[in-house]
Amino acid sequence: MDLQVKIGELSLSNPVLTASGTFGYGIEFESFFDISRLGGICTKGLSLLPRVGNPPPRIRETASGMLNAIGLANIGVEAFCKDKLPRLRELGATVIPNLYASSVEDFIALAERLDREEGIAAVEVNVSCPNVTKGGLAFGVDPVAAAGVTAAVCKATRFPVWVKLSPEAGRITDVACACEEAGAQALSAINTIRGFAIDTETWRPLLANRTGGLSGPAIKPIAVRMVWEICQAVRIPVIGVGGIASAEDAIEFMLAGASAVQVGSANFRDPMASMTVLEGISAYCERKGLAAKDLIGKVVLD
Amino acid sequence: MEQYDRRPARQVTVPLVRRDSIGASHHVLTFEYDTPLEAQAGQFVMVRGTNWGQSPFLPRPMSLLHGGKRPSILVKVVGEGTRRLANAEPGDLFSVLAPLGRPWSPCSSHRVPILVAGGVGVCPLLFLARTLKQQGIRPVALYGGRSSGDLVLYEELQAESDLRLATEDGSAGVKGKVTALLDEALMEADGRATVYTCGPRAMMASVVAAARKANVPCEVSLETVMACGYGVCLGCAVPRFDGGYVYACSEGACIDGRVIDWKK
Repeated sequence: MDLQVKIGELSLSNPVLTASGTFGYGIEFESFFDISRLGGICTKGLSLLPRVGNPPPRIRETASGMLNAIGLANIGVEAFCKDKLPRLRELGATVIPNLYASSVEDFIALAERLDREEGIAAVEVNVSCPNVTKGGLAFGVDPVAAAGVTAAVCKATRFPVWVKLSPEAGRITDVACACEEAGAQALSAINTIRGFAIDTETWRPLLANRTGGLSGPAIKPIAVRMVWEICQAVRIPVIGVGGIASAEDAIEFMLAGASAVQVGSANFRDPMASMTVLEGISAYCERKGLAAKDLIGKVVLD
Repeated sequence: MEQYDRRPARQVTVPLVRRDSIGASHHVLTFEYDTPLEAQAGQFVMVRGTNWGQSPFLPRPMSLLHGGKRPSILVKVVGEGTRRLANAEPGDLFSVLAPLGRPWSPCSSHRVPILVAGGVGVCPLLFLARTLKQQGIRPVALYGGRSSGDLVLYEELQAESDLRLATEDGSAGVKGKVTALLDEALMEADGRATVYTCGPRAMMASVVAAARKANVPCEVSLETVMACGYGVCLGCAVPRFDGGYVYACSEGACIDGRVIDWKK
């Protein structure tokens, strides 16, 4: 079964990746399955220095999904390079570090640090985290700011640069086009959408951060629509993410134009979720007598 | 933190074989495994009905009553997920990820284990009491609740321990909080106790304070919301005494009570 897809110059063994923030640093899954089977692993968002994250409660289940306000808790780029990356290389994983910073200078420093490492397939620039006070979403809702970060990271690294877009940009296609022009090789869409939940007994927010990012099947139709719109606006590959829990979900994104997909919150409820999606796509392609890449953008609109 | 033998968690789809209801709101659910679940006291499972569809979206973290061929959990109905668990019938299939989390630390042979349970917090402590019994140790167990109806499985606990009960309305045991029993038990142990506790946060905070005053070790079993149970969602953060957070699923569930900031 030909499941290979191309993301710019990068060739992936299959279109199933795991979404940043839902798959740790990858090696947490070593005992569940062979993580080299994945098309790629987008790591937990890495910052220059370690971050402890937001106070609890950080998560709340909602209808067909969940709100989270983790606040980019992570071990920092140095510990990632020292403690996680060597094992990921040993395991043969396709690694896409996800980068978070609150200034262009820090994004450059992150990219330069990772550039000294081997075994990185691409970097994913996070300009769309809704749960941090600085940076994050501020870059992602403004085409000029998003392009500025993209161009700076592209200049600082030899690796392909992907940009993860926010659904909260007024016109996501404007941000997408700006990132493409600035040198992005691919776009990941979408990050979570901010939500708010209130305890009706105490009348207080259910998350300490008040708002949190909504993920899970609840956001999938929004994500598919945005991926479809972005694919019509740009020439670079788009990686679909948002509520994928089954092969059918993933195929929907590919028909809308995504060249690959990322499985996110579904990893939480089932550590094997990404493998289930991969096996489902493989079976689907076999049944249809198609290669995975034949699905990309084939939605019928007549 | 001392090392222990942590077996990798397995995700399996298993049938419910028994549901033993204790009143309307408490239920013991027993699943049937093909190969026994090797779990230690204090470890937990993430459990989700295979027929839940997309909502509730997440599995529920549940402390184990015991492992083996037929592992059990104790469920108290507090929301939609636990309501579904409580309504499950034998034969219904569940996705179970286990064993998860850090179990209770072993009790040193020259110390008396004192188990302090509040409500459904009894679950990991009954597992512990049964484990201690196999080692020939009979612990002291203190079990409290608002009224006698909250003291589920107290007879089972009594079989494994020197059990003392407390209820706030006086309907069973002494009238008052379980922590009042703890002062007495700590005095009897005369500085040679190890305290293990699981229950409401305020209760555990008092237990940790009492153990600290008596200068004896005290482990708590943390309960928080969690999405994954195996260290990747980072949703189960609990504030540390020195800033930062511990993750209940991977650094807990069972952890030295002094590590936690009980004021937050």
